[in-house]
Amino acid sequence: MVVVPEFLIKRIYQKGSLKKTDDGACVTLKNVLGPGFISGFNYVKINDVVYEPSEVKFVTNGQELLGTEVSEANPVAFRLGQSGTLIMTGKLSVNDGLNKIVIEAMNPEAGKVVLSVEDTV
Amino acid sequence: MARDRFMKMKAGGYNTVDIYFNWNYHSIRQGEYDFTGIKDVRKVLKAAQDVGLFVIARPGPFINAEVNAGGLPFWLLRMEDVIPRNRKGTEYHYSEKYMEYIAEWYDHIIPIIREFDNIILFQIENEYATDTMEEDYMRKLYQMARDRGITCPIFHNDAYFAGLWADCVDIYALDLYPYINPNQNWKQDNFCFDTLDNVEDIFRCAKENSPPFIAEMQSGWFDKWDGLGYKHIRDALGDEHINIMTKTAISQGVTLFNHYMVAGGTNWGDLACDEVYTSYEFTAPIDEFGIPQSNYFKSKELNYFLDSFDLTCTEPKDFEFSQENIYAKLRHDNINNCDWLFIRNMNPESTEIKLPNGKSIILKPYDMKICPIDLCLKACEVEFSDLEIFARLQNDEEETIFLLADKNANIYIKDYETVNGNRKNYDHFTLEKDGKKTQFVFLTKDLADRSWLLGDKMIFNADYVLPNGVAAVERNTEIAYYDLKYKFSTKTCIVNEFRDYTKPKTLKISSVEFCSPEIDIDYDYSNWEKVGEKTDSLSCELYDEFVWYKTQIPNNLTEITLSARHLFAVYINGKEVLNRNSYKIEKLQEVPETISIPLNEKVLNKEINELTILVQNLGFDKGFSGDTNNPRGLVICETTPQIPLDFRVCEKLSLERKDWRESDNPYLTKITANFDIDFKDDIFFAKYISFEDFRCRRATIFLNGVKIGRYIKRTHVQDKFYLINEFLKPHNTLEIVVWEKDRNVKSPWGFKFDMKNVKIKLGTFKKYQLFK
Repeated sequence: MVVVPEFLIKRIYQKGSLKKTDDGACVTLKNVLGPGFISGFNYVKINDVVYEPSEVKFVTNGQELLGTEVSEANPVAFRLGQSGTLIMTGKLSVNDGLNKIVIEAMNPEAGKVVLSVEDTV
Repeated sequence: MARDRFMKMKAGGYNTVDIYFNWNYHSIRQGEYDFTGIKDVRKVLKAAQDVGLFVIARPGPFINAEVNAGGLPFWLLRMEDVIPRNRKGTEYHYSEKYMEYIAEWYDHIIPIIREFDNIILFQIENEYATDTMEEDYMRKLYQMARDRGITCPIFHNDAYFAGLWADCVDIYALDLYPYINPNQNWKQDNFCFDTLDNVEDIFRCAKENSPPFIAEMQSGWFDKWDGLGYKHIRDALGDEHINIMTKTAISQGVTLFNHYMVAGGTNWGDLACDEVYTSYEFTAPIDEFGIPQSNYFKSKELNYFLDSFDLTCTEPKDFEFSQENIYAKLRHDNINNCDWLFIRNMNPESTEIKLPNGKSIILKPYDMKICPIDLCLKACEVEFSDLEIFARLQNDEEETIFLLADKNANIYIKDYETVNGNRKNYDHFTLEKDGKKTQFVFLTKDLADRSWLLGDKMIFNADYVLPNGVAAVERNTEIAYYDLKYKFSTKTCIVNEFRDYTKPKTLKISSVEFCSPEIDIDYDYSNWEKVGEKTDSLSCELYDEFVWYKTQIPNNLTEITLSARHLFAVYINGKEVLNRNSYKIEKLQEVPETISIPLNEKVLNKEINELTILVQNLGFDKGFSGDTNNPRGLVICETTPQIPLDFRVCEKLSLERKDWRESDNPYLTKITANFDIDFKDDIFFAKYISFEDFRCRRATIFLNGVKIGRYIKRTHVQDKFYLINEFLKPHNTLEIVVWEKDRNVKSPWGFKFDMKNVKIKLGTFKKYQLFK
């Protein structure tokens, strides 16, 4: 299993991309590490609000996938240089000022990948 | 074995071998180092030197994720004041004590490495990273190597292609494995080459003036216990993958690359980590048994081409071109004063590619070519060619260029006609100019695979040719020799004795004996070590694959709860109550398992009952994730009601401890067979034993007392085991310790009878006759 150090995972997050939406939030990821797949979204947490896979959508490369649709059997390709937007719905979570964001996803080669960053709105 | 593999590497055009030095292998006990016998690394280094290979030395301390404990000695793992690799998870924790022990290892291994003048690179650590990337560990390792007299460039292999440690070493290097998931179809998901296709930028950003170096460049991949088997991986990669990898790397300006691996290996003894099984075949160009495979022939083509035309001084050149799923890169070559077009087709069908220079080429699916543009030869100038160059022989006056015949390809020569590649073997044409001569000779792919560049000669029709000129053939063959002076000559090689060697023969079982006296109720274990509360392998300082635990328990217990890694069995009063394979991986993580066994008066049928537990540890955690202290052996053993258990412990099977006697119980059974090997100096062979018709579920295999393999039927990943030539003798004893019988076999005595008739086959993968 490849273990990806935290400082490298953080590079995927597009600083300043956190946006408050009518019923949730969205963030942008850009794969600057290497070509691969996402084989699951376990959860997204913004401050104290946890979004389950059913409340998360991943929009990339013209595709819109619900978190529950991404799995080991149905992984989503995430190419080097490719961007994707995670849209969280159903709960408000973003504060003005500093926000803490944790995204836990799965990768077939690295297993659980936890991205933990802070972003300001 | 090393000499044989090195010679085959050299024959395939490689000029360097990368060698691990495994700390764990040489230091079984703290303070003890063994470089004798099969562990004599001087012999290995001498063999590389004799063959004419340079060496990349990789002494770690951590060397490789697939060897037991990553190559760190077991004794080191249990030390409380040592933090292996200076990290916990991905958090950095510097450990002075750990560094002291590395100094001890370097003090032993570096003086040996320094005895040889063919060491060109030295690697510190392996694919290392932490969250905060403090540099003192890597800088200290660098300094430790320098202080001990290492004078060649020092590098580290960055697995994340992120420029890691570039400032701490002389040459920045990275590892590239686009295919690491055997469930993946690399042809379909062809974006797996994204990083490789942009690797030149990564190198330039990482370290200025450092030669682009891929320290591990994928030529195969390893399989796991729960994997799909090596055949699947070899079929999936084909020889297209190594072709694309290597040519794309060169197109990106890479001048140093290490096909990982070139020769497959065998995890004999306790070399494997828990993740991998005995075969570490790796689908390498030279397979586990020393037999060249199709990716070897492909890499030979590339190596011969690179030996013929030095491409180490090239620079990218603008090239306006775009076509779907076609990768194209143009480089100017400052040595050969020409351009090279690197062109790749990732379409699933043959594709016509129209180039800006007006030429049109057809590329097969997943093929890649290196095409010369304006290449000046002795007697002509090649304007363009999509006929690939295999090799060149030359002297001052003349040269022979060997081209790979291809009916869809052409060579365009200035002031001469265009020549199509629809040719037979040895078809040729010659051009002369100003007293110089250039001859083009065509070889079909089949003949190219059997053609060998040896100094100023080309040798045709041999299965392989060693650097000392020895030609190996499997069947009667007329070998042809060509050099610029004497042109062609032939030699007929008659292979006399190879009569249907491919059919394996069933070995006669000479004895079947029960071999686990430790389980018998009268077994005296009073001299076994007493252990404290912690019973795991490291706490007990028991590093062997097999560990026995024995104690006494009263008859009022209702339950016993255990967790053990990886396979274990529980015996009470000489009777098996559980036999379990607890090896489980979920989402790439090892999952511990805890099991409760209900007890009753039928099981606990005495006032004081004897409890025996045998645990098989498949290897310590690979340490790649920094989790080297994941417990092995008996991790939990609790009773209801809870009582303290005073275990005595012992490692190894009685057979290995050499204190075995036939036991009363049938749970471990030793099957013995004998066979002879007729060694001949002029024959290379690769032998195996086959468990294809074996009726048992788990076994450990010993050849002349050396543990050579682990068989676990459940996984179906390996049922043929290589008989490493070094362990073979003229008269051989094969001992197979069966731990878990087939569930269809009911009675112990029936089992013993069945074992007499068990089918273990001795086979030969390949046989070559060697001609000087």
